[in-house]
Amino acid sequence: MADPIKLLIVDDNEDILSTFYEFFNSMGYEVKTAVDGFAALKLLREKSSFFDCLITDLVMPNISGVGLISIVKKEYTHLKIIAMTGYGDQPGALASEAEADVVLFKPIDLFKIENTVSELLNSKDDNE
Amino acid sequence: MTTPLIGVSKSILKIKELIHHVANTCLNVLITGETGVGKEVVAQSLYSESARSSKNFVKINCAALPETLLESELYGYEKGAFTGAHRKRPGKFQTADKGVLFLDEIGDMPISLQSKMLHVLQSGEFSPLGSDTEFKTDVWVIAATNHNLEESIRNKTFREDLFYRLNIIKIEIPPLRERKEDIPPLIEYYYRTYKSEYPESGGTKPDAHTLEILCNYPWPGNVRQLQNCIKKQIVLRSWSKIIDELPKEHPMIPAEIQTETNTNSNQIQINPEFANDRTGIISQFVDLSTSSEKLFEDISLKKIKKLASDRVEKEVITFVLEKVGWNRSRASKILKISYKTLLYKMTEFKVHPPI
Ligand SMILES: Nc1ncnc2c1ncn2[C@@H]1O[C@H](COP(=O)(O)OP(=O)(O)OP(=O)(O)O)[C@@H](O)[C@H]1O
Ligand SMILES: [Mg+2]
Repeated sequence: MADPIKLLIVDDNEDILSTFYEFFNSMGYEVKTAVDGFAALKLLREKSSFFDCLITDLVMPNISGVGLISIVKKEYTHLKIIAMTGYGDQPGALASEAEADVVLFKPIDLFKIENTVSELLNSKDDNE
Repeated sequence: MTTPLIGVSKSILKIKELIHHVANTCLNVLITGETGVGKEVVAQSLYSESARSSKNFVKINCAALPETLLESELYGYEKGAFTGAHRKRPGKFQTADKGVLFLDEIGDMPISLQSKMLHVLQSGEFSPLGSDTEFKTDVWVIAATNHNLEESIRNKTFREDLFYRLNIIKIEIPPLRERKEDIPPLIEYYYRTYKSEYPESGGTKPDAHTLEILCNYPWPGNVRQLQNCIKKQIVLRSWSKIIDELPKEHPMIPAEIQTETNTNSNQIQINPEFANDRTGIISQFVDLSTSSEKLFEDISLKKIKKLASDRVEKEVITFVLEKVGWNRSRASKILKISYKTLLYKMTEFKVHPPI
């Protein structure tokens, strides 16, 4: 069997974070979580090649999701990026500008995100 | 010379780490915090840790200039762009090219200039006043404010889209009273700095008791106020004088400190948890240390209401007067009271312009 897909999930809302963690874990993913962009960046700086996909909230303290996406796009180009936002259009537009692969608006159906993740990673396999 | 970011508190250590991680990303930064907490020091640290440190650090204070002047300072102008523009002049965006543009007090930028700023940040292009040509800019924008911008957005004095564009990296510096551990190292640093500037002076370091008082004072003016005290001590050579002169009438300071430091008592009971606690607030208006019988006699909602509203009114009036350079008729308009009422209240609350 192939290695499990490795996700980095970032949200400053602990409830959302643990819900996502439980869900993706039960779906067979390997999941790490971070409470803001800064915590996520530190995880990435430790082992950048470890992750396959980043799922991040946008409005967060320290380093925002938009900031994290911009850094990842520059420094960790292999990562697929899904942005999620509950703050109306503006952060979402900034995330698209920062070239997130997909931008989703909260509330988000977990199965839909899971679908998006596997689609994104499959298309990556196709390209390689 | 740039000031090092002194501090050992968790929040300052985290800020230092954050600076280190983002100094080369060139992502827009928004620094927030009360007056004197060190927003400019943080901006300078970002710059000096970045690869742009060999280029310019250009600062512009968005609160200090009237609208039209601010616009021409930012973007520059062509000869003849307006009356008095005898020759062309580059703006800050141009001077800061490849370096850092520090937009200080961004929360005070007039709303009419915010859309142009947004456009420049979005497109990376600007045109000087009176010119049709768009110039590319490569500046790292770091902005700072002591306003709560979320609140400004609600009051429609700040554009939401500009806020999100600036808020990519957010550095919040807590007030000094929430990171008391930083006080001793700051004192040490500034003591040494001033001592080397004035080696002849007789200033001394605070002893343990004085240090305790200094650590528990709420520092409404934050590091700037602390720094001024240390400088003054070098001249006055007396810590007790400095402590006596600390403003005590600040709403954030509980009555205990206000009275006890005034009487210079030797046993100062300092309650570090005063900030939001109920008794802390109440004790500003009634003496809670007496027996409950006497206390219940003293407590009268009407009386306390008057004391509390006077206290707040005095602060607001002083605040507005300071903002408008003690122009009373402007202040009365802003406060939406008559000129006469303002004068009356100024006498009642003993609000005087600085000499
Ligand atoms: N952590 C620090 N280490 C050393 N010096 C500091 C620190 N924080 C502030 N200072 C000093 O305190 C003074 C005020 O700091 P600064 O000008 O950066 O504050 P500010 O937050 O920009 O205030 P304002 O909102 O009034 O502009 C400066 O002289 C600065 O050098
Ligand atoms: Mg400043």
